[in-house]
Amino acid sequence: MADGTTAANPIPRRRAYRLLLGAALRAQLQYRSNTLLTLAGGIAYQGVGLAFVSVLVGRFGAIGGWSLGEIAFLYGLRVTAHGLWMIPTSQLFVLDLTIRTGEFDRYLTRPAGPLMQLLSREVYLATIGDLLTGVAILVAGASQVDLDTSPGALLYLALAVVGGALVEGSLQLAAASLSFRMLSNQSLRLFIDGIMNNFGGYPLKIFPSVTRIVLTFVVPVAFVAYLPANVLLHRTGELALAPWVAWCAPLAGPLLIALAYLVWRTQIRHYQSSGT
Amino acid sequence: MSVDGLAPRQRLAAYAGVARVQLRTQLVYRGDFLFRLLGLLVNIYMLRLVWDAVYPASGTATGNGGHRIALATQIAYVTLALVQNWLLNSGGMGFIPQRVREGTVAVDLARPVRFPSQMVWAQAGAVAAQLPFTVVALPFALLVGGARPPASVGAAFGYLLSLLPAVLISLLLTTLVQMVAFWTLETSGIFVIHRFVQQFLAGALVPLWFMPGWLRVLAEWMPFQATTYAPVAVYLGQAGVWATLGVQLLWCAVLLMLLRLMWWRALRRVVVQGG
Repeated sequence: MADGTTAANPIPRRRAYRLLLGAALRAQLQYRSNTLLTLAGGIAYQGVGLAFVSVLVGRFGAIGGWSLGEIAFLYGLRVTAHGLWMIPTSQLFVLDLTIRTGEFDRYLTRPAGPLMQLLSREVYLATIGDLLTGVAILVAGASQVDLDTSPGALLYLALAVVGGALVEGSLQLAAASLSFRMLSNQSLRLFIDGIMNNFGGYPLKIFPSVTRIVLTFVVPVAFVAYLPANVLLHRTGELALAPWVAWCAPLAGPLLIALAYLVWRTQIRHYQSSGT
Repeated sequence: MSVDGLAPRQRLAAYAGVARVQLRTQLVYRGDFLFRLLGLLVNIYMLRLVWDAVYPASGTATGNGGHRIALATQIAYVTLALVQNWLLNSGGMGFIPQRVREGTVAVDLARPVRFPSQMVWAQAGAVAAQLPFTVVALPFALLVGGARPPASVGAAFGYLLSLLPAVLISLLLTTLVQMVAFWTLETSGIFVIHRFVQQFLAGALVPLWFMPGWLRVLAEWMPFQATTYAPVAVYLGQAGVWATLGVQLLWCAVLLMLLRLMWWRALRRVVVQGG
């Protein structure tokens, strides 16, 4: 049928997503004072990480030869990618909960994809705080390092942010998919988030080589912000990798998210209703 | 409330009961422990690498009090401070808001022991549940991070002694923050802010001796540093035992009074929701 509807899916996907998301947003805005505080919470979360880095740089001058401006740029790139991914997908964090409470049963009976319904069940506003903080840090950092502002460089920056969001997202989606078998794996996802949050904002060259290899090829933190930041700050010379790998970093995101979606598709087959 | 109707022994038994319930509740979720432990270890490992990287090649740096801090001391600080902060803040902060929202707070109010005390003891139970995990985590943390013996015998005793008020201050702070639930029903925002501001001002990431002047003054005038920085600084011989204990006891008194005051105001605002 036209616009992608079928007998089983009578509502076009995009319209269903918009409707569900609108409802979730209205629900969240009911608690007005908490809305503001939740936003501030997102800012506090990312702000404390940056405060730590800036105290260090303020006291010791630089980290691995990166100035405060360069580190802020790197840090901002990481947090912006994180915020961009988290806004539409914060509900992946409660997938195991919806399975345990039987809420997930409902998603399977309705005329929209289960993943879409899960993602639109609630809007977590702290994530907007994450994004705002990320952009603010990124802009502040960029103004310190007189970034190349040619259209080509800005396009690369935009691609890097989206790519970074997808890298982080692919890990979270794949980990969340394991909920269909593990029932409770929130701490696994918090652990992944912790690794991203701990290491993502630092020039990875300060870490020992084994750690660096793990953070590049096992948990691909390097592809979120470090490699693209090296390109944009003309620092590819200090990498152990060939410069073209860093240039291609934004491509890792789409590739990994496709793989993660495959994991989701295979894992959802293992769904068993909790019967509640 | 008929607080006076109970003998001290009965009251203590009541508090112990409240703490025990929370302890059991927490232990139900021990399955998550492995990843929480790994998360803590990754955090310590990362901080160790970062301090390694920023420290001058000479291996010592001057703190803002003028003394030299060796890299090994700094890493021992980070390790101990993070473990301690982890222990104090892993108990969650859910029960007052949940009880206010669900209306079960009415049951708490009807009990013959004061509500704020019930809540502080419940929080104590939640923290006590983390103790066995912390005992397991500590050797790994020392391995991943770094360990140093206490600066002296006095420092060792001072550390153990200052842990008591540190725990009490932390319990009082979490209870105070939770009391906000009586004013706003949704509290997740405040909790997130508290969690991160507390962690930073407690000195869990940067000790006060490396904070820039204004930040150090701010941290010194807040109660958070008394929960984490103060005991660890005593252990490493970077702070005097008696001065530290004095400040901690002062904070205990201030926060206890604040809790009383806040409870007195909250009581006039209680809206018991639904049946």
